[in-house]
Amino acid sequence: MSAKASAPAGRVLLEVKDLAQHFGGLKAVDQVNLTIHEGEIVSVIGPNGAGKTTFFNVLTGVYPGTRGEILFNGQELRGMSGHAIVAVGVARTFQNIRLFAHMTALENVMVGRHTRTFQFLLGPLLRLSSFKKEEKAVEIMAKELLDFVGLKSLGNELAKNLPYGAQRKLEIARALASEPKLLILDEPTAGMNPTESQDLVALVRKVRERGVTVLLIEHQMRVVMDISDRVFVFDYGVKIAEGKPKEVVANARVIEAYLGKEGAS
Amino acid sequence: MKKLINNRWTPWIALAAAAIFPFIAGAIDANYLVRVGGVIGLFMLLGLGLNFTLGYAGLFDLGFIAFYAIGAYTTAIAMRAGVPAPFALVLAVLVTVGFRALLGLTILRLRGDYLAVVTMGFGEIARLTINNLDALTNGPKGLQIAPWRPLNFLSTDPNIQYYLMILAAVALGVVASARLEDSRVGRAWIAIREDEIAARLSGIPVRHYKLLAFTLSAAFAGLAGGLFAQWEQFVTPESFVFWESILVVSIVVLGGMGSIAGVLVGALVLVGFPPLMQWKLSADWINYRYLFFGLILVLVTLFRPQGILPSSRREAELTS
Repeated sequence: MSAKASAPAGRVLLEVKDLAQHFGGLKAVDQVNLTIHEGEIVSVIGPNGAGKTTFFNVLTGVYPGTRGEILFNGQELRGMSGHAIVAVGVARTFQNIRLFAHMTALENVMVGRHTRTFQFLLGPLLRLSSFKKEEKAVEIMAKELLDFVGLKSLGNELAKNLPYGAQRKLEIARALASEPKLLILDEPTAGMNPTESQDLVALVRKVRERGVTVLLIEHQMRVVMDISDRVFVFDYGVKIAEGKPKEVVANARVIEAYLGKEGAS
Repeated sequence: MKKLINNRWTPWIALAAAAIFPFIAGAIDANYLVRVGGVIGLFMLLGLGLNFTLGYAGLFDLGFIAFYAIGAYTTAIAMRAGVPAPFALVLAVLVTVGFRALLGLTILRLRGDYLAVVTMGFGEIARLTINNLDALTNGPKGLQIAPWRPLNFLSTDPNIQYYLMILAAVALGVVASARLEDSRVGRAWIAIREDEIAARLSGIPVRHYKLLAFTLSAAFAGLAGGLFAQWEQFVTPESFVFWESILVVSIVVLGGMGSIAGVLVGALVLVGFPPLMQWKLSADWINYRYLFFGLILVLVTLFRPQGILPSSRREAELTS
């Protein structure tokens, strides 16, 4: 299968070259090359332990990476700290939800605005007008984002008290608050029933309409087939296939990775 | 209860009552309580300071009293060298903050229990250094300083003067804490406490903000130490033992981590109650203060694990 045949025409946003993350002898991610274009929704799939989340962790600066390049708009991300990567326009959510449990939903989103705001000590201490103006703007934007993900009425709830599905959406709102160009979602539908998953798929499409490119790890094949423009398949830390969803599921190596050699033949 | 705490008049009424108290204390034969009130105020300042580190940023610190000591000794040494008292206080804050920043730069890579152990070690090192650095601190014999009584126009009683100055410092500390808490900086600290990795990947430079909280907390300790030295006119290493660090941590934890009202109530209960028992019941009661202390710890842990007055988040207007 040719990757080039299915590559869309949009401008290249993210280019990963020969990326590796080794833990001692374990090659959690190895020799990964891939390209993501502006405006795409791209899924990463693969069996458990295939290195998908590790790959995301290297992209977002959680792990340093052992080798290779991550070019985002031509800028090297590898070696940058996690908060600086957010500042250049890459935001993410987590497989096991990581909200600020004892802050309200609204405050969670307001924290996401950190890199786009400037007030430091004097502004808040002296309640300068520049501080009040910025606070107001942050609050307005956070409310808009809560509304965008459908949590408008839950803004004053503590994050820990929100229902599971709402927590997943709140993570997305918090990530969007930093105005990312690339949004990385780690299993956004994990633990959701089919209706909730449908809901989330619609939300991801709406995110793309905002001009945000989306990269996600997804296990529910129905969701993958539904929203992905392209799919990357990982197995044992290596990318074994890429292409349109329909092409990928017909790929012999992919079937082998999921079902073993018997299934492929 | 929550309504009472959040009422906009509550702080003003509390402040007014606290300010009037020393002038009516004489009438009810409670001059002793003015002195106790001053000590409570010093621990409120220490608690407000530690609240930045422990309450907001979630960094355990078991050696906080070392910075109270640095503030007190800086003031004493400066005043003995002829620095005017108000400048000595400013110097105390600056020197304390400087030491704290240096310590923070070296140890803030550590987390949780490891950080607690290292700060505890620093607290002991500071006390032992003060105890043995005779040339500067006069060792266990301590340092005497000349009296400074700037509020003679209000009262000639030094206890009342320092009570009022400490009260002013506490009021200032409360305002500064509340304003920082409700800002981009405060949200960043609390986010770090809640989930450090999520905070970093939401764009917060975690190490900088930890260092900031750690350093700012020392300004309160330095000021409290300076006022303590000027009030007592005497500093010795005995005032800065490990137990005092534990007391400050207990004030923050029992009051409610990250809760300003909690810190104030925590100091009032833990520092105020033992001398009150001694005053009302008998002098022997002071021997039971650790028993009392343990009892409060157990009761609060059992019935209010979030603290006496847990912090509550500001509610926004959502309908607009």
